[in-house]
Amino acid sequence: MAREGTVRVMGVAAVLAALLLSGCAAPTADNLANNDPYESTNRSIFALNMKLDRMALRPAAENYRDLVPEKARDSVRNVLDNLDLPVTFANDLLQGKPSRAAETTERFLLNSTYGIGGIFDVATRVGIGNHTEDFGQTLAVWGAGEGPYLVLPVLGPNPPRDAAGQLIDLMLDPTVYITFKQHLWWHLGRQYLKILDGRSRNLETLDDIERNSLDFYAATRSLYRQYREGQIRDGNPAPDQ
Amino acid sequence: MRLILAVLFVTVAMTGLSRPATAATPAEQFIAENVQRGLTILNDKQLSKVERRTQFQEFLLSLTDIRLIADYTLGQYRRTATPDQLAAYETAFKDYALAVYQGYFSKYTGQTLQVVGSTPPDDDETIVKTVMVDPKKGGKPLEVDFRVLNRAGHFLVVDFSVEGVWIRELERSDFTSYLGQHGGNVSSLIQVLRNKTQQNG
Repeated sequence: MAREGTVRVMGVAAVLAALLLSGCAAPTADNLANNDPYESTNRSIFALNMKLDRMALRPAAENYRDLVPEKARDSVRNVLDNLDLPVTFANDLLQGKPSRAAETTERFLLNSTYGIGGIFDVATRVGIGNHTEDFGQTLAVWGAGEGPYLVLPVLGPNPPRDAAGQLIDLMLDPTVYITFKQHLWWHLGRQYLKILDGRSRNLETLDDIERNSLDFYAATRSLYRQYREGQIRDGNPAPDQ
Repeated sequence: MRLILAVLFVTVAMTGLSRPATAATPAEQFIAENVQRGLTILNDKQLSKVERRTQFQEFLLSLTDIRLIADYTLGQYRRTATPDQLAAYETAFKDYALAVYQGYFSKYTGQTLQVVGSTPPDDDETIVKTVMVDPKKGGKPLEVDFRVLNRAGHFLVVDFSVEGVWIRELERSDFTSYLGQHGGNVSSLIQVLRNKTQQNG
């Protein structure tokens, strides 16, 4: 049994190595123009992620949407959003946005108490809407570029700036420092729920884009970049737009 | 103590909300009136599927400059396309866009559009910011923005975005990537767009 596991891990490692090596071909002018020098590797990993999505994530997200009542799903999302607020607060401050940091604090206090641990989004009802900040956005506000476009296995689009940001966010998250039994499972469960919730809310939109696009990889790349740019500008239009 | 804090926060939040109302700009009025008209067509249960499609397409054509959007989505390949190819592409794109945009907007049936502001006009263009509010649900409303061109006092929509993603940009990335992999063959792109339109019909 253990031997089988080792063989499987080695197999996966070999596939990944092959994928990475296949990307070593010299980038074309189009690759450079799109800031996607590792496009062929990225495309292979994207194809792998699409397979994983069809096999596991998508069916799970469909079940979650169809079997769990909307109110319960909203509550799950509210709790997840509430747990993200300390990281948003830290990044609000790191980006020099004290009024947004105050908003985040108000949300966290209201929803954690009157919203019973974040189950009910009381803050939105009194006009304090949700916003999210992460360290990838903070790096961008500080002037860091996105870096070459990268698609990571399972995690999807993750250029260096955003991948580094996620690691720092993990360190900024106070819940990581609360140790208790089953600590790791709680974190993994929380991350899985976040992915499941996000996927279940985008089932139709992503289907539409996939159906209407000619090159879904390129469409996804544009979607990711534009969405991140919008987040970095806090929803304000770009200066040249 | 918590109660005092909560009352304080609520007060702060309420005062934050009561901004003095400013008069809507002509571009904002244009979006507020017209987009709601489009949503009303999609909402109209009296119409048959075909009638709804026809009315919505007429509405889109009167509101947007689809040719301008079409030319934008070709990117650098617009320069190398022959006039015949360009004309055929513009027609194929128009049919494609009318079909897929209806699909995108159908998601907002039953929702209300609220204009929240606009950017100062730059080069005859302004971005009107709106939110789609679902009366049945709480939570964060969806941010939908419209890029409006002022052509001698006549307004036209040349792009729209949902949560920061502009459709014209998305299509340009998609189409130019396709062309890059197919030797810049615009005729092949036209054929694929026609197929996509049929799938949507």
